[in-house]
Amino acid sequence: MSHHSPESDDALGARLRTELRRYSAPAYLRGSVADTTQTPRVRPVWLPPILAAVATALVAVLVAIPFLPRILPADPTERLVRSVVAEHTRALMWGARRPESVPTALPWLTQESGIGLTKFFGGDDRLVFVGAEPVYLEARRGIALYYRDGDGHLVTYTVLPAPGLPIPESRRVQIQNRWRPALMSDDGFSAWVWRQGDLACFIVSDMVSQADIENFKDYFARLRVSTEPVPATQ
Amino acid sequence: MASDDFHRAALEHLDALYNFAMYLTRNPPEADDLVQETYLRAFRFSHRFQPGTHLRAWLFQILRNTFLTFYRLRERESALAEDGVPAWDAPMFHDAPEESSGAVEAHTDLERALRRLPEEFRTVLLLAEVEGMALEDVARVLACPVGTVKSRIFRAKERLRGLLRDYTKE
Repeated sequence: MSHHSPESDDALGARLRTELRRYSAPAYLRGSVADTTQTPRVRPVWLPPILAAVATALVAVLVAIPFLPRILPADPTERLVRSVVAEHTRALMWGARRPESVPTALPWLTQESGIGLTKFFGGDDRLVFVGAEPVYLEARRGIALYYRDGDGHLVTYTVLPAPGLPIPESRRVQIQNRWRPALMSDDGFSAWVWRQGDLACFIVSDMVSQADIENFKDYFARLRVSTEPVPATQ
Repeated sequence: MASDDFHRAALEHLDALYNFAMYLTRNPPEADDLVQETYLRAFRFSHRFQPGTHLRAWLFQILRNTFLTFYRLRERESALAEDGVPAWDAPMFHDAPEESSGAVEAHTDLERALRRLPEEFRTVLLLAEVEGMALEDVARVLACPVGTVKSRIFRAKERLRGLLRDYTKE
């Protein structure tokens, strides 16, 4: 069977190289090994701790976001709207701190808020008066009147002293050919903003859809006609 | 060495590794498993490969270590099974002299003689003579000094010659 002398080392080496069968890798094995190269790369050892730390920080930030101070807008009108909306939200969640019945409490309210009401809207078939209270927003004393409509919307009418407060022209909306308040929005709430002398007036509600805005215009008209705030010093 | 370059370079040695695996396991499915496991480990630990060293020797070293790992597992498992402990999954490789059901038969006296050599002798002949590796690379695969490789080659050939003589007399 052998053709070489088994005595010589070189001859034996040559036999091993030439006589032994040479096995080639089958095609399927080549394919599956090549697929192995597509397996995900080994992550650097420092990556998992970093990812864990980033994930933890992200969760902490998400939890803390509601408690973080919000960046105040530079525009004074927007800043006041934000404060008024925040007060409306507080009343919406926890109710007025000291709801008082007007007009019995009017002298007290005028004294506390520095705002007098020569005319006062006490509610009608669309809006029910809920209460009134003095407020202190953006270092200004003012008054807030709360109403609720038939659909359960809370409507807050706030008056603050703000001489010369600019009303953004681009936001103005014509209502009944008589008034042109600005319709502003903040944090998902709508707010009518206008000026009466040295006072800034705001009506806030969560009425944001097109149909709601039509009702909101109506509420503005009702409140605007029937309420006349003046600085208490006058 | 970039990852893609490494993969490409490693795949060039597939046939040689499979041939070596066949002579270690004598069984195509087990040779497949051994080669797959070798590449899996090589790719997983590619960052440990030192560029500039012999990739071929590194891959053969992984394959042999993998084979020995599973061979030792098999030895331990057999001992436990004989003691009546229920057997678990079948081992991947074996090195028993008996032919298993899927084993490839030896066609020549040389193959038969090679099979009867202990693994250390068989491996050193396959690497040095069949694969034509330098003695330094063989030493790296076997994790032993070059002098030990030389002496193993000498003794392996002595044993092989003796076995071939026996076959001739038969």
